[in-house]
Amino acid sequence: MRIGILFLPLIASLACAADPSAGGKWLVGMSQCNLGEPWRVQMNADIRAAAQAHPEIEVVFKDAQNDTLRQSAQIGEFVNSGVDVLIVSPKEAAPLTPPIADAYRRGVPVIVLDRKVLGKAFTQFIGADNRTIGRSAGLWIASRLAQLPVVRAGGRARVVELKGLMTSTPAQDRDSGFREGIRGAPIDIVFEADMKWLEPASREEMESALAVNDRIDLVYAHNDPGAHGAYLAARAAGRADGIIFVGIDGLPQEGRVYVRQGILAASFEYPTGGREAVESAIKLLHKEPVPREIRLKSRFFTRDNLSRGGEWIP
Amino acid sequence: MRGTLVRRWLGIPWVRALLALALVVSLGCLFNAGGAFLRWSTHRDMLRQISVYGILACGMTLVIVTGGIDLAVGSILGLCSVLFAQLSLHGGQGALAAVGLTLGAGLATGLVSGTLVARARIQPFIATLAMMVFARGLAKWSSGGQKISQAVQAPDGTFSYVDLPRAFDALGGSVLGGNIAVVTLVFGGCLAVSWVVLAKLRYGRYLFATGGNEEAARLSGVPVVRAKLLAYGLSGLFAATAGICQAAQELQGDPEAGTSYELTAIAIAVIGGNSLAGGRGGIGLTLLGALTIGYLEKILSINAVGESSRLMLTGAIIIAAVLLQRKKAG
Repeated sequence: MRIGILFLPLIASLACAADPSAGGKWLVGMSQCNLGEPWRVQMNADIRAAAQAHPEIEVVFKDAQNDTLRQSAQIGEFVNSGVDVLIVSPKEAAPLTPPIADAYRRGVPVIVLDRKVLGKAFTQFIGADNRTIGRSAGLWIASRLAQLPVVRAGGRARVVELKGLMTSTPAQDRDSGFREGIRGAPIDIVFEADMKWLEPASREEMESALAVNDRIDLVYAHNDPGAHGAYLAARAAGRADGIIFVGIDGLPQEGRVYVRQGILAASFEYPTGGREAVESAIKLLHKEPVPREIRLKSRFFTRDNLSRGGEWIP
Repeated sequence: MRGTLVRRWLGIPWVRALLALALVVSLGCLFNAGGAFLRWSTHRDMLRQISVYGILACGMTLVIVTGGIDLAVGSILGLCSVLFAQLSLHGGQGALAAVGLTLGAGLATGLVSGTLVARARIQPFIATLAMMVFARGLAKWSSGGQKISQAVQAPDGTFSYVDLPRAFDALGGSVLGGNIAVVTLVFGGCLAVSWVVLAKLRYGRYLFATGGNEEAARLSGVPVVRAKLLAYGLSGLFAATAGICQAAQELQGDPEAGTSYELTAIAIAVIGGNSLAGGRGGIGLTLLGALTIGYLEKILSINAVGESSRLMLTGAIIIAAVLLQRKKAG
């Protein structure tokens, strides 16, 4: 009891902190499913950067370390600690639907980032479309390969596809979208392998692709590290000059650097939505309406358009 | 008479390990992917691929001989690849200083594991599990979770670019007209060092004695604590070597590098015929184990076997290889 009294001022000050009119800050909780991927590190960095322009909010980050149950628990912790807005980038849909719905029903606005949950018990979904990005990559690749002398002479282009973890939906969509984009084009997929998003694995698969194929015109990898690993394999074999490399993600410190170095011919951005999430959070805190869903537009980067900040995918 | 001769030959561990390797290689000759398996470049690539794992397996062998296990090697690899990239890419340190400092850091982490095991008497599995988690955290913290690459981010978010130090090209490249990767030579060097330690030095016998029967070794005057410190320290040193090789090959320091590599290193040591119970084994067995695993992965890859079948086949063939050894031993 006495200890409880000791804590009273602390609790009171915390309560004040949640009310900016009293000079405190609004609390925004960000539940990230894992920070093992550069793309998700970038998402948090984007949120942090956007939040710096808004001194009235404070963002608290939690990393679920790729564990669904841990993320579920962290969402509960955020709600109990009285966050004013919750941003969640969920690991998977079904098991995280109930905790998100619970937070929503208890009056906490929830912004779901990147991967959707089931049902409608959240405030807003922000995400990009991997299938669209894959299709754009396919269309770009088809038109790029049509310029090859061998294709113009009536031959077919030979393409290697290095896939992300094929049990994950982003990899499935980047694959099916790509196949849609190249449909009808004179392209043969001569080698395809699952490199599980990992650069060393991609390099190993590309070494095998090079061993069994005397001619490869283009490599399409589901992420930029994969495309980079494939390039390293081709370079070691002395065959990098004859091959076009295309990747996905377009992170500033990764894919765009590779494009700038001339390693990748193109990288297709998969936007994080971090900035948009902070903008929505600010609107929600000021009781302004936000749309149910924001489909993020995506850019692609080539050496020619890099200095202009890329080109938007229609 | 001939039967006993065959049996005696099959009683030798390295003959059995060689049999397992021959089994895998013959599979490769059978499924040669249109002749790809018969070209030297395929073997060169396999050797490059297995080198980083093999370097880890050298340290693992030293630890396994003492009856221990080192789960931290994958994380130390990641930590040291980040450190090496920070020192040489971003810090502008010379190659020698960067390599020296990184190896020192690896040795230090290994010695910490060794101290926890030998002096604090924490079980090797637990002590190195803790070190595995800690070193991964340290790698992520020091890199800010981002890969340390040629792109350097300024505080205002803009990027500048640094040139690739020559050490990266040298270590990540190949020699003899591109016919052998430099990392494979490094692997060879690590094998040689481990062989000298295990087969030529007095401390090698101490490692075997410690793993065979620790109490008996202690009573007969073997410096058990120092022997264990040596094993874990060298394991850390080899993990740092592997980290430098990994960074040089990827042209960056990745804080996630080496995740789950410790399991492959253990598999290499065990498939070669080193006993997890300790006291028995040798570095030649580890080399044979590395080649077996390397060829297995390469054969599945050049034949473009799907991921699910690949995992099942790898599991089945590992068990087959180990059973083959056991059966002939009996």
